[in-house]
Amino acid sequence: MTSTIQAPPVAPGAPASRAAGGAGRRPSRITRLRPWLLFAPALIVLAVLLLWPLVRVVLFSLQDYGLREIVSGEPNWIGLDNYAEILADPSLWGVVLPNTVVFAVLSVAGTVAFGTAVAVLMASLGPFWRTIVGSAIMVAWAMPAVTGTYVWVWIFDADRGVFNQALQALGLQDDPVNWFTNRYSFFAIVLLNVIHHGFPFVAVTVLAGLLGVSKEMLEAAEMDGAGPFRRFFQVIVPNLRQVFTVVIILSTIWDFKVFAQVYLMPGGSGSNREVLNLGVWSYVESFGQNRYGFGSAIAVLLTLVLLAITVVYVRTMLKEEEL
Amino acid sequence: MLVVLLLAFTLFPVLWMLSSAFDAKAGIGAASILPREWSLENFRYVLTEGGFDVFLRNSAIVALVTVLASAVLALLASVAVARFRFKLRTALLLMVLVVQMVPLEALVIPLFVQVRDLGLLNTLLGLMVVYVALSLPFGIWMLRGFVAAVPVELEEAAYIDGASWGRMFRSVLLPLVMPGLVATSVFSFITAWNEFIFAMTLLGGATENYTVAIGLKQFFGEHSNEWGAIMAASTIITLPVMVFFVIVQRRLSSGLVAGAVKG
Repeated sequence: MTSTIQAPPVAPGAPASRAAGGAGRRPSRITRLRPWLLFAPALIVLAVLLLWPLVRVVLFSLQDYGLREIVSGEPNWIGLDNYAEILADPSLWGVVLPNTVVFAVLSVAGTVAFGTAVAVLMASLGPFWRTIVGSAIMVAWAMPAVTGTYVWVWIFDADRGVFNQALQALGLQDDPVNWFTNRYSFFAIVLLNVIHHGFPFVAVTVLAGLLGVSKEMLEAAEMDGAGPFRRFFQVIVPNLRQVFTVVIILSTIWDFKVFAQVYLMPGGSGSNREVLNLGVWSYVESFGQNRYGFGSAIAVLLTLVLLAITVVYVRTMLKEEEL
Repeated sequence: MLVVLLLAFTLFPVLWMLSSAFDAKAGIGAASILPREWSLENFRYVLTEGGFDVFLRNSAIVALVTVLASAVLALLASVAVARFRFKLRTALLLMVLVVQMVPLEALVIPLFVQVRDLGLLNTLLGLMVVYVALSLPFGIWMLRGFVAAVPVELEEAAYIDGASWGRMFRSVLLPLVMPGLVATSVFSFITAWNEFIFAMTLLGGATENYTVAIGLKQFFGEHSNEWGAIMAASTIITLPVMVFFVIVQRRLSSGLVAGAVKG
């Protein structure tokens, strides 16, 4: 910041005067400092609570950081041993990574497809039904992840859950089944939960985009003989490319790191190692086993995956507009 | 028909939660769609014996402070990036975007150590500080679109009329970005109200400081879960969020699109 103060008086860092020929005000020192003064409080918070911890988690990942190190504060460097151990762990390749990646792909596809279908449906409804459906999906959206997860757990509860009771009443099964012990049915429930919670964002965002697509273009396409499918894929989708990019990438980022939805389900907090994903594995190793260094290394791997996705996001944004 | 199916899927979990919450016999005997015995007993139980009144108060304090602090910080920062061209501006914006993508699991380990070193473990203050940081990037990113959308001509007209910068901020900029502020405040409220992993980690040792999101744990037993109580407590947690969503429904969607797409 000091360098900003000492910059020459006619530095080109002056306020953006976008009005044509608006060269009226001379940039004074205070004007040049102003953006920094405005940004400083947020910058301090972000630096201390997000950036420095990010650096620290990388440092922890290179240490055997356990209870002893937490108390003494003495670093115990072990280089890349934590990473070597993770990569050599067969459960990473057989369980954790598939649970994380396959789940994310399925839930993103499910959320975006379902959300888009709902948006298209809503766009075709009259104002009355659109308001009804809109309010209903707001209700689904508003349900916190924690309570939403508990409701799904309750619905699929082994002993008293309505799902088991309905299946028995229909004669489809004789005894209640514990759906949480099997890895696939466990994640099917998580998938249901995540789609239910995530599709409203997609529906609302895509609907807003749909309503912005010019009527003339759609009518012109219809006159040219394009059916509803062609109109959707050749007029609407290209027009909403940016909207879709945003919802797909945001959903990807959210679905890669589902935590509460897994952690709060029976066996999800580490007792059933078949259902671990990267996030829960990191947490369980850190706070369950006091292996903070090992947990940090897992967290760093998860972060790298997400950063790669973010880079794609940023590049798309940069292509579309000037930051 | 499609609409009915959609409504059924969307609303079923919510209705099931409500029905169990109002059923004195939830979790006993066969399930039924409507409560077999309508009663407020579950609510009375969680609020008086379950300690939920305290959790509600804790969450309200944490959420209020988080909303106010992050709204002020995000607004100032978004004006800086939307209205001024300065060195490192793009770098700051990218940093804001990138930290938003960082998974909480990666932050929870170092922040646990950091909050512990500050002596703030098991305190509400420690949690609030973390929540302000968590809601800032989104707030800045979203508000920047709203600030940029305010025509510079309006500001310049205010200057020409002799208004100071601070005066212009209050009477020109602030009213026009209010919808954005509302939307970001809703998001930071929801972050603070719903957040689970930090609350669990940073408040783990102090039941009296639990927020609602982790207070639910109280009703899970070794062998059986008090589902009526859990659903009543879930209803209490969900209500404020739903009220917020309904109030800002319109602004929320336009804000989302403006913030996310138009940037």
